[in-house]
Amino acid sequence: MELEELKSIWKSSGPGFSPKNEAEIAQMLKGNSQSIVDKLKRSVWFELIFTLVAGISLLVYALTLKSGALKWTSVSILILFVGYSFYYIKKLTLLVNYNPADENIRVSLERLTDNLSSYLRFYKRSYTMLYPIYFVLGLLFVAMERGMDKFLDNLSQPRTIIYLLVIGLVFFFCSTWLTNWYLKKLYGNHLEKLKGLLHDIKQ
Amino acid sequence: MYEHDPDARNDLFQEIVLQLWRSFPSFRGEAKITTWMYRIALNTAISGFRKQTRLVKTEDLQEVHMNISDAWGDDREEDFQKLQWAVRQLPEIERAMIMLALEEVPYDEIAETIGITQNNVRVRMNRIREKLRKLMCP
Repeated sequence: MELEELKSIWKSSGPGFSPKNEAEIAQMLKGNSQSIVDKLKRSVWFELIFTLVAGISLLVYALTLKSGALKWTSVSILILFVGYSFYYIKKLTLLVNYNPADENIRVSLERLTDNLSSYLRFYKRSYTMLYPIYFVLGLLFVAMERGMDKFLDNLSQPRTIIYLLVIGLVFFFCSTWLTNWYLKKLYGNHLEKLKGLLHDIKQ
Repeated sequence: MYEHDPDARNDLFQEIVLQLWRSFPSFRGEAKITTWMYRIALNTAISGFRKQTRLVKTEDLQEVHMNISDAWGDDREEDFQKLQWAVRQLPEIERAMIMLALEEVPYDEIAETIGITQNNVRVRMNRIREKLRKLMCP
């Protein structure tokens, strides 16, 4: 079957495209975009605003504290938030500059795959690092509450060590599993699809 | 061709219109307007669109035959429906390439839109034609 024959069949009668009028097009332009880039932009904006609001609240709280472990703990969390904010701003700049009209399908797929992979990787890595930090901070709060000597006494008992290890492991595995599941649900299937398409193009 | 379900098709159409509207200010006239439009439409349909999960009804060639005979009973129309069905069975990249070819887009523009060489387009187009032939005349 030759291509010309296929073209001739293609041009033959069939339910054609019905042109849209001005009002219908205007209505369409009011809709929310479902593109993966817009979805990523919305997620990053939400996270940036959340981080800024939480950061400012924590800063106000930290300023009311007298110098001590709690104040320094708040400052260390604030430093983390500043790091996150820079990452979000960098990500947003990349996403805003993305334009499907500038690139062919291959380049567009490569860029989307890279963007999505790095976004997911960042999340997994940062949460893997942050969960132990939060756990240690939690222990620090307990130590401050009960007094360091009593806390160290308790900590030297085998029963407390086993208890903390079990709690730590359960906390780590549950939270890591939840993060992985959530990210896979949000973007995982789409990433697999993009990789498959890229593989098809490169074949 | 990228969405069989009418609602999903409308969503995709709306998404393409949105992307065209947003991208138009950056159109510098370096490529043909049609190449530019194909690029955005295909980028949106293939890689950018994240549709809501819907239950997609599968359709076999026998069902297509029945629908055709019910609706038109015309040979030309039957060929057209069979071709549409066969194109839908292709992987997405091959579907994009054959759609462009059927719309009379030259091979150099197809190569530019997809991001592969013209030679690659020729080789793949032969493969696609063979697949279509087998699908339409099993």
